[in-house]
Amino acid sequence: MSTTEKDIASAVDAGGQHDHHEIPWIRKYVFATDHKMIAKQFMFVSLFFLVVGGALAGMMRFQLGFPGQPMPGAGILPDAMMAPTPNGAIMLPEFYNSLVTMHGTIMIFFAIMPLLVGLFGNLLIPLQIGAEDMAFPRLNMASFWLAVPAGMLMLASFAVEGGAAGAGWTSYAPLSTSGEWTGVYLGQQLWLVSLTILGFSSLIGAVNYITTVINLRAPGMTWFRIPLATWSLFVTAVLILLAIPILAGALLMLLFDQTIGTGFFRPDVGGEPLLWQHLFWFFGHPEVYILILPAMGITSEVLSNRARKPIFGYHSMVLALISIGFLGWIVWGHHMFQSGMNPLLGTSFMISTMAIAVPSAIKTFNWLGTLWKADIHFDVPMLHALSFVSMFIIGGLSGIFMASTPVDIYIHDTYFIVAHLHYVLFGGSLFAIFAGITYWFPKMFGRMMNEPLGKVHFVLTFIFYNLVFFPMHNLGLQGMMRRIYDFTQYDFLQPLQPMNQFITLFAFALITTQVLFVINFFWSIFKGETAGNNPWNSNTLEWTVPSPPPHGNFAQMPTVFRGPYEYSSPESDDDFLPQTTPPREGPGPSSGVPAPTPTPEGAEV
Amino acid sequence: MTTITADRAPMAGMKVYHLKLGMWVFLLSEVMFFTGLIGAYVILRFAHPEAFGVPGEVLNVPLTAFNTFVLICSSVTMVKAFAAIEQNDQQGLQKWLLATIVLGASFVGVQAWEYTLLFSEGFVPMAESYHAIARGAAEGSEVIGGPLYGATFYTMTGFHGAHVSIGVFCLCFTLWRARKGAYTAGNLGGVEIMGLYWHFVDLVWILLFTFVYLI
Amino acid sequence: METGEEHKSPPYMMVFVVLAVLTVAEVLFALLFTGLPKFWLAVGLIFMAVWKAVLVAMYYMHLRFEPKRLWILVASPIPLAIILVVVVIREF
Repeated sequence: MSTTEKDIASAVDAGGQHDHHEIPWIRKYVFATDHKMIAKQFMFVSLFFLVVGGALAGMMRFQLGFPGQPMPGAGILPDAMMAPTPNGAIMLPEFYNSLVTMHGTIMIFFAIMPLLVGLFGNLLIPLQIGAEDMAFPRLNMASFWLAVPAGMLMLASFAVEGGAAGAGWTSYAPLSTSGEWTGVYLGQQLWLVSLTILGFSSLIGAVNYITTVINLRAPGMTWFRIPLATWSLFVTAVLILLAIPILAGALLMLLFDQTIGTGFFRPDVGGEPLLWQHLFWFFGHPEVYILILPAMGITSEVLSNRARKPIFGYHSMVLALISIGFLGWIVWGHHMFQSGMNPLLGTSFMISTMAIAVPSAIKTFNWLGTLWKADIHFDVPMLHALSFVSMFIIGGLSGIFMASTPVDIYIHDTYFIVAHLHYVLFGGSLFAIFAGITYWFPKMFGRMMNEPLGKVHFVLTFIFYNLVFFPMHNLGLQGMMRRIYDFTQYDFLQPLQPMNQFITLFAFALITTQVLFVINFFWSIFKGETAGNNPWNSNTLEWTVPSPPPHGNFAQMPTVFRGPYEYSSPESDDDFLPQTTPPREGPGPSSGVPAPTPTPEGAEV
Repeated sequence: MTTITADRAPMAGMKVYHLKLGMWVFLLSEVMFFTGLIGAYVILRFAHPEAFGVPGEVLNVPLTAFNTFVLICSSVTMVKAFAAIEQNDQQGLQKWLLATIVLGASFVGVQAWEYTLLFSEGFVPMAESYHAIARGAAEGSEVIGGPLYGATFYTMTGFHGAHVSIGVFCLCFTLWRARKGAYTAGNLGGVEIMGLYWHFVDLVWILLFTFVYLI
Repeated sequence: METGEEHKSPPYMMVFVVLAVLTVAEVLFALLFTGLPKFWLAVGLIFMAVWKAVLVAMYYMHLRFEPKRLWILVASPIPLAIILVVVVIREF
């Protein structure tokens, strides 16, 4: 039997698991190779880091809201972070810089990315394309178990002398090449090592996802029948594959600058700080698309399903994903408009950045088109998905301002940018994550999350979130710079103190509200209402198998007959028509045979 | 247990088996990794041409040309190993794998030796202690280039050498499996992907040798 | 499809000879033609290096005999590499 025939015959070789003997506990839960278990592993670890990132933000907000005041409970922190006074411990500027750096780093690399890519990528890709598991299950396991020590190193860096990295999540040289100015030595190096390891973890994950989507699709699952969640994860994986190595190279060069004493980015020995910025952002811009594309994919699934309508313009949605993937490589300079870069380059980046707004806008209009005259079910996943669309619009619009180089002169490195990035990352990605977790929770655990509690969590989160981040647009326009420990040192910024306090108080409320989600999550795992195979009446393949699916997913390899968005189709008696339901006789969307007459209004484009 | 029936083959996909596709995909990321390193070198050289040396001034071109030849030979032996297992020739597979290991290890050895020579001439990656002089020049001669030269040289060739070393380890593992009879003409994916990685490492060196030693 | 079943064994030794010859040619070109402007020196050397690299990819890595769709996949990082280097060089 040839290698290819073996591939077909066994679909995936998972090291002898398919004989269904008892899998030892440690192979099932710890060193798991089953993609669904790995997804859950990523989920639990990432949610933990989400909490850590939130706590760091809480401390930052305390300093900004109550500058120079003793922080309650801070006495337990070491003197290097908080200066003890008779009234209590006051935050030190160096610690604030570490908080800023680590909040960004942890949220981006250890929370949002592993939730979107590690959780949803692992959970959805094999199920949605009709595969038993990923192409390389043991490689998948390695991907998770590389991410864990990376996370541990990142946390450990708080405890070393000099504290955690303090040069911003972007770690610009020459600030980051030496501890002279940040006061951070080992912490900065641990940051670099941690991210290099995490990068490698993401990279092998991407190899797995790409191979799986290309080669393991079930019969009938053509490219243009793949659900948008998987499509978005595929494009994301390509971005990861090609961008992370550039980051790795840059991180290693910076590490050499710090440890061996090379001079890549050190101007005092002939190096080029701007080179760091170019390399970092060449990775960094695809990175932000890595952080949003899966969220868009999740939103498309939830919106279409909860509105009981096909996604408007499925093909253009796919093409938009691919265009964003392409264009995302040629816009990186817009993060560097104020760096002193060549102005001609600045102009070309401005043009490409304006251009990339177009596919995102197409997607947004298509989401709205999906909702138009739809039978909308306002349950928790839908509420979060609607949030995604509206908050992403705001975040995207503020991005247009920054795309214009002359405007960016004014708003760069101000709170206007902070507002923008939180609108797309929290308003966008995080709400999509909440939507996705709620929506696929039954598939993971066989139980529904609590709906009323979910609604309360949503409403409070939405309100508090907007009260925290919308005013930041204003703060930025009034000149408040980002990453600043004490803005009140500037007379012209002192009037902004009350607004900062306002934001801080609602930030505390926002953080506290998340407890509701945590309670809902854990309570529902044990006591949630039991879910059947397909509680949302969805079309995609993961809902044709039990909740949770057995090892190997599908008892028989499924055959796909149509696209994933046949909601409210005239071919079906229900308002949905699963991809694997065999067609009735004759032409029509359900049989995959082209109809001689134009497709009915409202059917999939 | 998943039942596959004859008329329900999965989609054609890339029309190559999973391991091979996976390795190619991985190699694309390696292309980007070396792009970052070599690209940084090219960029820095354009920015600060005076910080770099003329080919042959500091670096030993003849020695490295020989080393390049050694690596190319190792690619040939690897290809012969693959051709052997295609014919189910177990002895041939093991013989040619061993030859590849020897040649690969020699490459690394020569490179390591070259590093010690360069170090002794003051060609180092550390900025503060960089004082490279021309090969064969007397002590105290004019310093050639600047710290960027050393930093970029060792980073590029060092990571390449690390990839070769990892390749040698993997080749040993492949040889060990071959001795246990793991590969046949119908099951040679492991050998083929080992070959892909090894040829890629050779390919990178072909480019590196040109950019670093000859231009 | 499996390797070697549909075509004669690829000309491995011939490729080896070409690679060896090109290597020698490169070294000689670099050492003897130092009078040439740097630009043309670089063009010539890169041309030879790329020729060697393509030979290794096509024959030793078997790309010549793989499905054409794999070629597209493999070619994908190249434009990115060019963009990165060309754009950032403009910076300086």
